Amino acid sequence: MTKEERLTEFLIETQARSYRLAYSVLHDREDALDAVQTAVCRALERQDGLRDPGAVKTWFTRILMNACTDILRRRSRVVPFPEEGMEPGREDPEPPDESLARRVDALPREVGTVIKLRFYEELTLKEIGEVTGQNISTVKSRLYAGLKKLRVAMEGAEY
Amino acid sequence: MNEFKNAKEEYDNTPIPAELETRVQAGIREGKARYRARRGRTIRRWASAAACFCAVLAGLNLSPTIAKAAAEVPVLGGLFQVLTFVDYDKTEDGIHYDVTVPQVESESELAEKVNAVIQEKMDAHLAKAQQDWDDYREAFFATGGTEEEWAGREMDVIVNYEVKSQSDSRVSFVVTFAEGWVSSMEERYYYNLDLSEDRDLTLRDYLGEDWVEVCNASIQKQIDESVDEEGFTYFFPADQGGFTTVDETTGFYVREDGTVVVCFPEYSIAAGAAGIPEFPIV
Repeated sequence: MTKEERLTEFLIETQARSYRLAYSVLHDREDALDAVQTAVCRALERQDGLRDPGAVKTWFTRILMNACTDILRRRSRVVPFPEEGMEPGREDPEPPDESLARRVDALPREVGTVIKLRFYEELTLKEIGEVTGQNISTVKSRLYAGLKKLRVAMEGAEY
Repeated sequence: MNEFKNAKEEYDNTPIPAELETRVQAGIREGKARYRARRGRTIRRWASAAACFCAVLAGLNLSPTIAKAAAEVPVLGGLFQVLTFVDYDKTEDGIHYDVTVPQVESESELAEKVNAVIQEKMDAHLAKAQQDWDDYREAFFATGGTEEEWAGREMDVIVNYEVKSQSDSRVSFVVTFAEGWVSSMEERYYYNLDLSEDRDLTLRDYLGEDWVEVCNASIQKQIDESVDEEGFTYFFPADQGGFTTVDETTGFYVREDGTVVVCFPEYSIAAGAAGIPEFPIV
């Protein structure tokens, strides 16, 4: 199997995960589909940038998050969530207010991203650093800031 | 962390749209095609009008949606053309350059000046990227990093442009410089030109004598609306470095529908998480 075939297979196998992550950032069905398509396209276009095939997950997650960032920037609004004037698609779930999921969505984006990658995608702090291009101490401080904001008990929160 | 279990469950149960599969397949096809097209590409200069249209498309070709929109734009005519002047994608000493630089092709003096300024900015930016990368590498090893850990590290330097709108004599475009990894700062330069009159267009040209008041009122309203029910907003208060007023140096572009969009640099009036704040003046 060539490198390109392996990458293609990875992109197909992980498409549901990619969509979930994009949706959790963008909260819009069409935008999330757009982000995944763009990221898949960019990944193959820049496949030479993937030096270590073992790191494909963090490498691709980074591309995907960048695609999401581009879309957020393209939206002329600067209000993060909920988006005004965005009709939720028919498949958009409506989590009950005040649920933890909703509070995670309400976090400032950089902090929310760290929380989502850590607890939903279960990446290590090191991997999160690779995805977001931050050093570990920044990741840690964002994680703690996020947890504090969420008022989640810190007991047992050892990483 | 039981609370997170529920949140994760909800996350894992995000409904997956049926068309995800076809969208991924489309992305794969396009990505493979682009990979083949750009492999071995070095520096190209576009000359013909036909190539011009391709180049503008390439500049706009940031996402499937935008590409589709651009395909519906008729072939550009008028007094001038915006061409892709330099276009290369290469990796050198751990820096991945992805550079697409526009050039305004016209008889006018203004076009020449604009091209010279773009060239100058690009040179300065590439030099700065090189310096940042060298500094980072030095700090990395000085703090005990090993060659093994360093291997494969790469910084992205992206120079790109986007034509926002164009008519027979006017063009509005944005040149973006971005560096990834060491910092994720993005700098944008805005160009609004009238080639028939050979001059830069200003906010006054679009919004009239009261342009300062018009902009300020619209921007302040949008900032006020961004405050959520908990009183949180990314925007800094006016007395703490936040927005006060627009002036001659404020960047803007003009959309296809004629709407003026005023932009501020990252971190200038809002937290970095807000990205580059943009305000359509309506």
